[in-house]
Amino acid sequence: MTTLRPFTCDDMYKFNNVNLDPLTETYGLSFYMQYLAHWPEYFQVAESPSGEIMGYIMGKAEGIGENWHGHVTALTVSPDFRRLGLAASLMNFLEDVSEKKRAYFVDLFVRVSNKVAINMYKNLGYIVYRTVLEYYSGDPDEDAYDMRKACSRDVNQKSVIPLTHPVRPEDVD
Amino acid sequence: MSRPQTNSHVHQDNSVVERRLRPIYDWLDSGNNKKALQECEKVLKKTPTLQCAKALKALTLHRMGKQNECNAILELLTKEIPSDDATLQAMALCYREMQELEKICRLYELVVKNNPNNEELHTHLFMSYVRISDFKSQQQTAMALYKSKPKNPYYCWAVMSVILQATRGEGLKDAQKQKLLLCLAERMFTKLLNDNKVDAEQEVQLYIIILNLLEKYEDILDILNGPLGSKLQCTNIPQAKLEYLIKLKKWSEVNVICKGILIYSVDRWDIWKEYINSMFRLIPAESSISVTGSSGDDADSPDDTPEKAHEFICGIVENGTENGYLLRGPYLARFELCSRLQEKQMNYSDLLGDLTELFIEYFRKFGHKQCCVTDLRSYLKLLDSDKKIDLSSRLIKDVGISSTGVPQTENQMQRHICALQLSRLCGGHRNLPTEHLKALITALSLHYQHGYQTYGMNLLPTDLGPSDPYALMAAHCLYDLALAENSSNCIVVALMVLESLLKNSPNNFHAKLLAIKLYHVLGGGVSAHEMYNSLDAKHLQLDSLGYVHCARLPTTGLFTLCTNMFETTLKFFSSNYKDSSDHLTFSYKFGSFTKIEEFMDFRERLNNSLHYKTVLIDKVILNLVECMSLETLYSLSISTDINWEILRDNHDLSVYNSWDPERIEAPPEDWSDAGDLFLQNIRFLKLRSFVLTGMASAVNIVKSLDGVRQEHVQTLKKLLEDWRSLYEQTVQDNLVPIKQSILPLPLPSRLHGALLAPYYSVFTSFFEFLLAISSDDSNLLDKRTKIVEDELDKLTNVLRENTLKKSNDFFDKRKSMEIAVNCVEIISISCVICALCGELVKPLQAKKGKKKQPDPMGKEYVQRASEKLKTEMGRFCDILQDWVESNPEEELDRKFDNLNLAVSENVFEKILQSYSVSNKEIQLILKTKIKLLT
Repeated sequence: MTTLRPFTCDDMYKFNNVNLDPLTETYGLSFYMQYLAHWPEYFQVAESPSGEIMGYIMGKAEGIGENWHGHVTALTVSPDFRRLGLAASLMNFLEDVSEKKRAYFVDLFVRVSNKVAINMYKNLGYIVYRTVLEYYSGDPDEDAYDMRKACSRDVNQKSVIPLTHPVRPEDVD
Repeated sequence: MSRPQTNSHVHQDNSVVERRLRPIYDWLDSGNNKKALQECEKVLKKTPTLQCAKALKALTLHRMGKQNECNAILELLTKEIPSDDATLQAMALCYREMQELEKICRLYELVVKNNPNNEELHTHLFMSYVRISDFKSQQQTAMALYKSKPKNPYYCWAVMSVILQATRGEGLKDAQKQKLLLCLAERMFTKLLNDNKVDAEQEVQLYIIILNLLEKYEDILDILNGPLGSKLQCTNIPQAKLEYLIKLKKWSEVNVICKGILIYSVDRWDIWKEYINSMFRLIPAESSISVTGSSGDDADSPDDTPEKAHEFICGIVENGTENGYLLRGPYLARFELCSRLQEKQMNYSDLLGDLTELFIEYFRKFGHKQCCVTDLRSYLKLLDSDKKIDLSSRLIKDVGISSTGVPQTENQMQRHICALQLSRLCGGHRNLPTEHLKALITALSLHYQHGYQTYGMNLLPTDLGPSDPYALMAAHCLYDLALAENSSNCIVVALMVLESLLKNSPNNFHAKLLAIKLYHVLGGGVSAHEMYNSLDAKHLQLDSLGYVHCARLPTTGLFTLCTNMFETTLKFFSSNYKDSSDHLTFSYKFGSFTKIEEFMDFRERLNNSLHYKTVLIDKVILNLVECMSLETLYSLSISTDINWEILRDNHDLSVYNSWDPERIEAPPEDWSDAGDLFLQNIRFLKLRSFVLTGMASAVNIVKSLDGVRQEHVQTLKKLLEDWRSLYEQTVQDNLVPIKQSILPLPLPSRLHGALLAPYYSVFTSFFEFLLAISSDDSNLLDKRTKIVEDELDKLTNVLRENTLKKSNDFFDKRKSMEIAVNCVEIISISCVICALCGELVKPLQAKKGKKKQPDPMGKEYVQRASEKLKTEMGRFCDILQDWVESNPEEELDRKFDNLNLAVSENVFEKILQSYSVSNKEIQLILKTKIKLLT
């Protein structure tokens, strides 16, 4: 039961029920504004029938040549609206935009400890492309999985052949 | 900070220059201005003409507060008309930090004049106009840029600048002018079109913006259907068309498109609403009902009767589940259909059967999902109160848990929680006898414990406990009970419930929000603050959630916490207002024209936040309260420049869960109480701002010489006039505090507490006293001194009566604390005014050769006022000392012993502790204040 629509600035005044969840970070305004200014089509919000924000996705398109891809920067769903398939619809949307932009693949980073999310992404067709060592700073630092799913343009699925060795964050472009 | 680019036009070898300048940038970045300045001097010694070094020196000097030296360098440098990017950027940054955005425009105007073909400099000029919203200059610059470099984006910048002139510039108040400008924008764009130059998606979007403003919806549909539409890569064309078909009231097409979408995406709520709405628009007038309509299952023909719509919905339900999730869309669509039928007073029972059954059916299907409550919430208005009570008991029965039983599965528990929440929404907890309410609270607590032990162990610390909602509702019910019995003890128990919940689910933000509110209800500011810190609210949340804690702190007397909160909040607002112009320039850079007006609106919303202005004024007031010397006073920026008409209420009240029946109709932001509170808060702030403006003109009087002094005297007199009339108006309006019976509503406005303290009369007496001194009229002065003394007596009485009340209850104690803080504010700031008066009667420094001037006559009177202040402040301290020793006694209801609350820390003690911290801080202020007068 969802209305997907472009995220607007005013939504930041209403997203507390999503963002107060400990797994969702609230960033400085510039971060959101930069995405809104550069990739407005990649920033979507899911609204409930009663007008509450259920979740949102923000992303971007970047890369040169065969590295031209869609990237999921943040995906979050309010605790009240979980297990309704919302994350999947938001991901679908982002993949759809990436297809339209003729991207080769879509990628995302996730904490290796976040089993729930990793499983969900696997169910959506993502594979662990590589491990990025100590990508998340904290105490201690935590590794990230760089997960990928090929778009139709990557006919031979070249972009989703997993790397055998982990990489350092500075080697990730 | 950006480094010199390799393409800079400096005369020296670039790499050498870059190497020399690098240390300056590094010192600036690390905030070491002194070192940066030394480095600048060093570089300038070697290369005295290096412009970038001069610009960086200016920036450094500005950051060191040496504004005059900074200005001198900038002025000279501007005359040289630099053209290298690094120098210009450093100068622009300097102007930005000085908040002199216009000067950036002037700078680039000169530079561009000198380098008419430099694309980059032209772009900087354009962006400098964007920052100050000079749309006309934007347009001219963009056109000039396009002429020298004919690229589409520049042309579009010009078109967008014309649109903004129409919507926000000249066209804003002149409909004719607006139309003219929009037509101009359209013509400009058509030219691009005719030249076959339109290519990018953003350009088509721009075209649609223009046509939309001109209400040429047919033309937009033509675009969407035609070759230009295919350039809209990321747009879903059928859905985009929907918006304009609705505006054109083409209901048949709307209906058919919606059906087409819904067959594949049965969960699209926005589309369901439009589908049902369009169906109602299509219902033929009664006289012309024809029986010949085609059958309802044809996807290409519109549905024009409720029957057909119902059939369509049922068809989708029967087609079953799509992807494993049971989809709520079509089920909820029936409620929407029903709601619209009832609105139009049409019969719905023939079509949809018994309404209560519809709710029960939905609950059976989705009751195990948390969203079931919010889904059904707004449709509960379809039921009258009897039916609501009926539904409420049937839902509870349907869950199948006896009054002594417990849920057998997690699923059943969730259904139980859902039924309880719906039942509260139906009014099931209203007007319950207190014995029932207590029994309910006990039951909820036991359910919480059972749920926690059975389903809540071994969760991640980031998870919310599945049985947490029981405890949250118990806290709500305890709040009800506290109001019913007019006793704060139940709120102490509620806080114990919440604290023990948080031991099990340390990240439950609902519990934290509730606890912050309840601590503030009892006046436990320190505990509220700890809780607020654990919420980790930041950035925009400082505005949207500012009411939760920051706005309450000034009533607690916790001055240290106030200082920190004010600082964080103000830093957020001022830095974001500065940065937000950057986002606008990005939108131009990336051609996101659809976002430009949105960004501008957002920027204004942020800058006109009532919370922002309140904190701004609170901070200055606090500075005055803490002010220890006239030098400090003179260094404060006291002036307030608030446009009262455009203030915004940015509070997110919906963040609080509410299962109060009022929530059925609308979210709390739309309740009349929220509107009343907003107006009361504005009134409060207006009255409060007089303290500052009064103070500012008093300072002006003291600092000015005889010639101009009279002007400031007149200003102060006028101001006191205005103050009086607003004060009298407010007393007359007799504004009632907003109701407290609903938990998500904020606490009542500070206006009411402010009116109980004699702000107006005491300050007026002091300002009149100051005016009397400057008038040199001894009779008047004697009279005014007496008034000051009388007013101070009254002030002390207010404090005494307020604290003498037996505070056997935290409700009373909190209110008393708020008034006490107000009284302390009044007397502390009075001391500052008195010190100013002292300055006015200081003998003037005798100049050489002139004979010694006589002492101004007011000295003895100022002495009298000053002595009186000292006496009263001493009394204040005595009263407060007595007060801190009289505390409410803990007499928690034995009935709640069985709640089994395992809270090691005593909530009661924590709140008392908070009061004692406040009291100490207040007394400290008073004691140090005495020094100001000696």
